[in-house]
Amino acid sequence: MKRSHIGIFLSCLLLPFFCSCGEKKVQKKLVINEVLIDNQSNFEDDYGVHSGWIEIFNKAYKSSDLAGCLLKISYQPGDTISYFIPKGDVLTNIKPRQHALFWADGLPRRGTFHTNFILSTTNSNWIGLYDSGGKLLDDIVVPAGILKTNQSYARVSDASDEWEVKDDSEEKYVTPSTNNKTLDSNPKMEKFELHDSMGIGMTITAMSVVFIGLILLYISFKCVGNAAIKLRKKNAMKAHNVTDKKEAKERKFGEAPGDVIAAISMALHEAYGDDHDVEETILTISRVKRSYSPWSSKIYTLRETPHKK
Amino acid sequence: MGEFVSFLQNNLADFWTYTGFYNATPQHLIMLCVGIFFIYLAISKEFEPMLLIPIGFGILVGNIPFNMEAGLQVGIYEENSVLNILYQGVTSGWYPPLIFLGIGAMTDFSALISNPKLMLIGAAAQFGIFGAYIIALEMGFDPMQAASIGIIGGADGPTAIFLSSKLAPNLMGAIAVSAYSYMALVPVIQPPVMRLLTTKKERLIRMKAPRAVSHTEKVMFPIVGLLLTCFLVPSGLPLLGMLFFGNLLKESGVTRRLAETARGPLVDTITILLGLTVGASTQASEFLTMDSIKIFLLGALSFIIATASGVLFVKIFNLVLKKDNKINPLIGNAGVSAVPDSARISQILGLEYDPSNYLLMHAMGPNVAGVIGSAVAAGVLLGFLI
Repeated sequence: MKRSHIGIFLSCLLLPFFCSCGEKKVQKKLVINEVLIDNQSNFEDDYGVHSGWIEIFNKAYKSSDLAGCLLKISYQPGDTISYFIPKGDVLTNIKPRQHALFWADGLPRRGTFHTNFILSTTNSNWIGLYDSGGKLLDDIVVPAGILKTNQSYARVSDASDEWEVKDDSEEKYVTPSTNNKTLDSNPKMEKFELHDSMGIGMTITAMSVVFIGLILLYISFKCVGNAAIKLRKKNAMKAHNVTDKKEAKERKFGEAPGDVIAAISMALHEAYGDDHDVEETILTISRVKRSYSPWSSKIYTLRETPHKK
Repeated sequence: MGEFVSFLQNNLADFWTYTGFYNATPQHLIMLCVGIFFIYLAISKEFEPMLLIPIGFGILVGNIPFNMEAGLQVGIYEENSVLNILYQGVTSGWYPPLIFLGIGAMTDFSALISNPKLMLIGAAAQFGIFGAYIIALEMGFDPMQAASIGIIGGADGPTAIFLSSKLAPNLMGAIAVSAYSYMALVPVIQPPVMRLLTTKKERLIRMKAPRAVSHTEKVMFPIVGLLLTCFLVPSGLPLLGMLFFGNLLKESGVTRRLAETARGPLVDTITILLGLTVGASTQASEFLTMDSIKIFLLGALSFIIATASGVLFVKIFNLVLKKDNKINPLIGNAGVSAVPDSARISQILGLEYDPSNYLLMHAMGPNVAGVIGSAVAAGVLLGFLI
């Protein structure tokens, strides 16, 4: 194997290694987003009953189906209750960046979103969400005594890693089936308006990126071009049986001028296109002889002319 | 009998309220005149007829006055009307990448590959985008709107539509019409700027003939181009991905039928739909606003800045280039990615000063680099602002 081929092969092997140097992230689309254990006067279900609830968030930008997934709960080690999320309910398909709320009321007959367990108000609650293959998607432990009545344990914002107690105050309000943090502004825009009201910063950064992109292309194709020229010279030397580089340089191997290339291109075009300037003046008429076949005979394809008897 | 006549009269009176004559406003008439003017420019002056005829006729279609409260479902902004369904290709942004697929399949990047330094001119011309962005901010537009307006300076209709559909959908009609109008007016806008910024000596510079480019290099270009640009700006993927894919179809040499479909029937179909619906989106009630006038003004400015920055960049670049390797600054304007019009302007102006100096091949380099540059710029703006 040539040395260059070995180099390319090794580069291909090393590329994934360099790409995966960063922290390995597990891609989980569905996460437990908020949990309320003791519901006395908070959100109520369709039956008008207040029960604890578990909110699941689809953090992907495509729909995710909860059908066949398992919600598991454990108050103490070795004591786990599983709720199989039924299949066949279109409502289990959660739209991108949307939520699903499960009522932990121990009454699964009330519908898909009512689990067969309740949450413990005295012990710690371990809650796990498993996919239909039994793989853990997300889990959370709500420590005992951390939540008072009508308070929830929630991620600071949807799908974030930090959790906090939502005490239903003005700043930290309980948010069933909706975003944990209401976005009433566009932080990116505000940042630009605050720090770059003139647009100079944007211009400098964006133009730098544009230039970097095209400079990278320039460097790549400069190298590719040089390699192509060298290869052409090498091939030309081989074709002329010349080994001396000086001689090859003097005879300008591989450096065909533009007009020569244009002439060759035109000749090839004419050859392939069957175009020629001088038309032949001999006209040949040859008789085309077709052998008779009843299948192609007009007589057999015509209907008989109607005649009066 | 009298009752029947009165019934007929009421019916006719009712019908009258549905007609265009009853619902017409001066704004409608202005827009209809604009549409007719576009068609006139396209047919008589041959200013980008492929674009201006669909857009001009689309303006007529979109500005036929009708009773908007009757729920006829004929207007482009009425949900599920035929025009609205066709317009979804613009609002959801899938027409522009398909146009880019066609552009890729019809573009020969040889000039750029043979002389890669011309890519930098394509980058420099993107100053037009950011010049207009700064002025738009000064005029009171918010950053998202300013970015959408600025992209007109990229002189790339599909890119302008793609970006404005994401950042400022309410301004998209005005931005698209402005971008396409100025692309059609490149022969009017660019030459005075080019003459103003160059000396006679500079206009006579003869450039080295481009070298022959091998098939391998041509095949490598879309692959390397995609990887480098999209690793840097993944938000430009829909446009750049399709552009390079189209080019690979062309250059691979084994997908001739696909390349021909992409650069022929497919791009023609999308151009018709895009032009017609963009034109129709200029419904007078939505379009004739002060913002639209400002956008048209900024669009012209962005084209001028883009042309000037391309030309000036070449002049500066020439200071560091060897004597026999200088670039004719008349190809600087071609960094504005109105393919191939701006390259044609370089050629025409070059021939005006030296009838044997053919600049078209050289100008195609920055021209196609401009397409890549404006798509990268759009990706950067999208990444920063969305």
